[in-house]
Amino acid sequence: MQVQSNGGTTGKMSIIMFSGTADKFIPLGVVSQAAAAMGMQVNIFVTGFALLGFTKKPHDLPFPAEFANMAPALAKGMQANRVGAWDTMLVQAKELGAKVYACSMMASVMGLVKADFNDLVDDVVGAAAFLQASENGQTLFI
Amino acid sequence: MDGATADRTLVDSRGSSCPGPITDLAMAYRRAKVGDVIELWATDLGVKADVRAWAAKTGNEIVSMEDRENVIVTVLRIVKR
Repeated sequence: MQVQSNGGTTGKMSIIMFSGTADKFIPLGVVSQAAAAMGMQVNIFVTGFALLGFTKKPHDLPFPAEFANMAPALAKGMQANRVGAWDTMLVQAKELGAKVYACSMMASVMGLVKADFNDLVDDVVGAAAFLQASENGQTLFI
Repeated sequence: MDGATADRTLVDSRGSSCPGPITDLAMAYRRAKVGDVIELWATDLGVKADVRAWAAKTGNEIVSMEDRENVIVTVLRIVKR
Protein backbone atom coordinates (compact mmCIF):
# COMPACT_ATOMS: atom_id res chain seq x y z
CA MET A 1 0.00 0.00 0.00
CA GLN A 2 1.21 3.46 -0.85
CA VAL A 3 1.30 6.07 1.90
CA GLN A 4 -1.04 8.87 0.90
CA SER A 5 0.42 12.26 0.10
CA ASN A 6 -2.13 14.37 -1.71
CA GLY A 7 -1.06 17.80 -0.43
CA GLY A 8 -4.76 18.68 -0.49
CA THR A 9 -6.04 22.19 -0.13
CA THR A 10 -7.48 21.73 3.33
CA GLY A 11 -4.16 20.79 4.88
CA LYS A 12 -2.56 17.90 6.60
CA MET A 13 -2.16 16.74 10.18
CA SER A 14 0.41 14.11 11.00
CA ILE A 15 0.90 12.60 14.42
CA ILE A 16 3.80 10.57 15.74
CA MET A 17 2.19 8.52 18.50
CA PHE A 18 4.98 7.31 20.76
CA SER A 19 3.65 7.28 24.33
CA GLY A 20 2.15 4.10 25.68
CA THR A 21 0.15 5.47 28.60
CA ALA A 22 -3.64 5.66 28.50
CA ASP A 23 -3.82 9.44 29.06
CA LYS A 24 -1.88 10.22 25.87
CA PHE A 25 -4.34 8.25 23.75
CA ILE A 26 -7.09 10.78 24.54
CA PRO A 27 -5.49 13.69 22.61
CA LEU A 28 -4.59 11.22 19.85
CA GLY A 29 -8.27 10.40 19.42
CA VAL A 30 -9.55 13.96 19.77
CA VAL A 31 -7.06 15.64 17.43
CA SER A 32 -7.30 12.88 14.82
CA GLN A 33 -11.08 12.95 14.77
CA ALA A 34 -11.26 16.75 14.73
CA ALA A 35 -8.67 17.09 11.97
CA ALA A 36 -10.41 14.45 9.85
CA ALA A 37 -13.72 16.25 10.39
CA MET A 38 -12.06 19.47 9.19
CA GLY A 39 -11.29 17.72 5.94
CA MET A 40 -7.59 17.47 6.68
CA GLN A 41 -5.51 14.55 5.55
CA VAL A 42 -4.59 12.70 8.75
CA ASN A 43 -1.56 10.42 9.02
CA ILE A 44 -0.81 8.68 12.30
CA PHE A 45 2.56 7.00 12.73
CA VAL A 46 2.51 4.65 15.69
CA THR A 47 5.81 3.78 17.27
CA GLY A 48 7.41 2.91 20.60
CA PHE A 49 5.19 1.77 23.44
CA ALA A 50 2.12 3.16 21.66
CA LEU A 51 2.21 0.07 19.41
CA LEU A 52 0.78 -1.89 22.35
CA GLY A 53 -2.50 -0.02 21.87
CA PHE A 54 -2.81 -1.34 18.31
CA THR A 55 -2.30 -5.08 18.69
CA LYS A 56 -4.97 -7.73 18.21
CA LYS A 57 -3.99 -9.14 21.57
CA PRO A 58 -5.24 -6.37 23.88
CA HIS A 59 -2.83 -4.73 26.30
CA ASP A 60 -3.99 -2.82 29.31
CA LEU A 61 -2.53 0.65 28.77
CA PRO A 62 -1.19 1.94 32.09
CA PHE A 63 -1.91 5.38 33.51
CA PRO A 64 1.17 7.44 34.48
CA ALA A 65 1.87 6.78 38.16
CA GLU A 66 1.57 10.46 39.18
CA PHE A 67 -2.01 10.64 37.88
CA ALA A 68 -3.12 7.09 38.59
CA ASN A 69 -5.31 8.12 41.54
CA MET A 70 -7.22 10.51 39.24
CA ALA A 71 -7.92 7.87 36.60
CA PRO A 72 -11.27 6.67 37.99
CA ALA A 73 -12.63 10.24 38.28
CA LEU A 74 -11.42 11.02 34.77
CA ALA A 75 -13.10 7.92 33.37
CA LYS A 76 -16.32 8.84 35.16
CA GLY A 77 -16.19 12.45 33.91
CA MET A 78 -15.57 11.32 30.36
CA GLN A 79 -18.49 8.94 30.52
CA ALA A 80 -20.77 11.62 31.97
CA ASN A 81 -19.79 13.98 29.15
CA ARG A 82 -20.17 11.23 26.56
CA VAL A 83 -16.57 11.51 25.43
CA GLY A 84 -15.83 8.46 23.32
CA ALA A 85 -13.02 6.01 23.95
CA TRP A 86 -9.83 6.87 22.05
CA ASP A 87 -10.21 3.93 19.68
CA THR A 88 -13.82 4.86 18.93
CA MET A 89 -12.56 8.34 18.01
CA LEU A 90 -9.92 6.79 15.75
CA VAL A 91 -12.55 4.67 14.02
CA GLN A 92 -14.51 7.89 13.35
CA ALA A 93 -11.35 9.59 12.08
CA LYS A 94 -10.62 6.65 9.80
CA GLU A 95 -14.16 6.74 8.47
CA LEU A 96 -13.34 10.31 7.42
CA GLY A 97 -10.10 9.21 5.77
CA ALA A 98 -7.43 9.10 8.48
CA LYS A 99 -4.64 6.58 7.99
CA VAL A 100 -2.72 4.72 10.68
CA TYR A 101 0.76 3.35 10.06
CA ALA A 102 2.80 1.21 12.42
CA CYS A 103 6.55 1.79 12.60
CA SER A 104 8.35 -1.14 11.02
CA MET A 105 11.49 -0.79 13.10
CA MET A 106 9.78 -0.68 16.51
CA ALA A 107 7.42 -3.45 15.42
CA SER A 108 10.46 -5.65 14.69
CA VAL A 109 12.09 -4.68 17.97
CA MET A 110 8.92 -5.71 19.83
CA GLY A 111 8.61 -8.92 17.83
CA LEU A 112 5.40 -7.81 16.10
CA VAL A 113 4.48 -8.57 12.49
CA LYS A 114 1.70 -7.02 10.42
CA ALA A 115 -0.73 -9.82 11.36
CA ASP A 116 -0.31 -8.92 15.05
CA PHE A 117 -1.90 -5.49 14.56
CA ASN A 118 -5.61 -4.83 14.74
CA ASP A 119 -7.86 -3.30 12.07
CA LEU A 120 -6.98 0.27 13.02
CA VAL A 121 -3.57 -0.19 11.39
CA ASP A 122 -3.53 0.36 7.63
CA ASP A 123 0.07 -0.63 7.02
CA VAL A 124 3.51 -1.11 8.51
CA VAL A 125 5.93 1.45 7.11
CA GLY A 126 9.33 2.99 7.73
CA ALA A 127 10.24 6.48 8.89
CA ALA A 128 11.01 7.71 5.38
CA ALA A 129 7.51 6.84 4.17
CA PHE A 130 5.99 8.73 7.10
CA LEU A 131 8.22 11.77 6.53
CA GLN A 132 7.17 11.84 2.91
CA ALA A 133 3.50 11.58 3.86
CA SER A 134 3.79 14.34 6.46
CA GLU A 135 5.85 16.73 4.34
CA ASN A 136 4.57 20.33 4.22
CA GLY A 137 1.96 19.74 6.91
CA GLN A 138 1.75 19.99 10.67
CA THR A 139 3.25 17.19 12.74
CA LEU A 140 2.56 16.48 16.40
CA PHE A 141 4.60 14.22 18.65
CA ILE A 142 2.55 12.61 21.39
CA MET B 1 -26.82 15.45 -8.51
CA ASP B 2 -27.76 17.63 -11.50
CA GLY B 3 -31.19 19.11 -11.23
CA ALA B 4 -31.66 17.83 -7.70
CA THR B 5 -33.37 20.16 -5.29
CA ALA B 6 -31.60 21.49 -2.22
CA ASP B 7 -32.10 19.47 0.93
CA ARG B 8 -32.21 20.61 4.51
CA THR B 9 -30.71 18.25 7.06
CA LEU B 10 -31.03 18.48 10.82
CA VAL B 11 -28.00 17.21 12.71
CA ASP B 12 -28.74 16.75 16.39
CA SER B 13 -25.46 16.66 18.34
CA ARG B 14 -26.92 17.69 21.66
CA GLY B 15 -25.05 16.06 24.54
CA SER B 16 -22.08 15.15 22.37
CA SER B 17 -18.69 16.52 23.43
CA CYS B 18 -15.98 17.94 21.20
CA PRO B 19 -15.11 16.73 18.60
CA GLY B 20 -18.51 15.04 18.28
CA PRO B 21 -20.50 17.94 16.81
CA ILE B 22 -18.06 18.82 14.02
CA THR B 23 -17.69 15.12 13.25
CA ASP B 24 -21.46 14.80 12.94
CA LEU B 25 -21.35 17.91 10.74
CA ALA B 26 -18.58 16.40 8.60
CA MET B 27 -20.58 13.19 8.19
CA ALA B 28 -23.63 15.18 7.04
CA TYR B 29 -21.38 17.24 4.74
CA ARG B 30 -20.16 14.04 3.08
CA ARG B 31 -23.74 13.21 2.10
CA ALA B 32 -24.64 16.78 1.13
CA LYS B 33 -24.48 18.51 -2.23
CA VAL B 34 -23.89 22.15 -3.16
CA GLY B 35 -26.89 24.24 -2.21
CA ASP B 36 -27.97 22.02 0.68
CA VAL B 37 -28.55 23.46 4.12
CA ILE B 38 -27.40 21.75 7.32
CA GLU B 39 -28.81 22.77 10.68
CA LEU B 40 -26.63 21.72 13.59
CA TRP B 41 -27.92 21.50 17.16
CA ALA B 42 -25.21 21.27 19.78
CA THR B 43 -24.55 21.86 23.44
CA ASP B 44 -20.74 21.57 23.56
CA LEU B 45 -19.34 24.92 24.70
CA GLY B 46 -16.68 24.93 21.99
CA VAL B 47 -19.08 24.46 19.13
CA LYS B 48 -19.30 28.08 17.96
CA ALA B 49 -15.56 28.47 17.49
CA ASP B 50 -15.29 24.96 16.08
CA VAL B 51 -18.03 25.40 13.49
CA ARG B 52 -16.57 28.75 12.41
CA ALA B 53 -13.20 27.04 11.96
CA TRP B 54 -14.80 24.14 10.11
CA ALA B 55 -16.66 26.47 7.75
CA ALA B 56 -13.52 28.52 7.07
CA LYS B 57 -11.47 25.38 6.49
CA THR B 58 -13.92 23.66 4.18
CA GLY B 59 -15.05 26.88 2.43
CA ASN B 60 -18.69 26.67 3.44
CA GLU B 61 -21.07 29.34 4.67
CA ILE B 62 -22.59 30.01 8.06
CA VAL B 63 -26.06 31.43 7.53
CA SER B 64 -26.83 31.92 11.22
CA MET B 65 -25.65 30.94 14.65
CA GLU B 66 -27.77 31.50 17.70
CA ASP B 67 -28.09 30.57 21.34
CA ARG B 68 -31.49 29.17 22.09
CA GLU B 69 -32.61 27.71 25.35
CA ASN B 70 -30.13 24.90 26.13
CA VAL B 71 -28.99 24.58 22.52
CA ILE B 72 -26.71 26.38 20.07
CA VAL B 73 -28.22 26.29 16.59
CA THR B 74 -26.04 26.85 13.54
CA VAL B 75 -27.39 26.89 10.01
CA LEU B 76 -24.83 26.24 7.28
CA ARG B 77 -25.13 26.40 3.53
CA ILE B 78 -22.96 24.02 1.55
CA VAL B 79 -21.33 26.04 -1.21
CA LYS B 80 -18.27 23.88 -1.73
CA ARG B 81 -17.79 20.17 -2.15
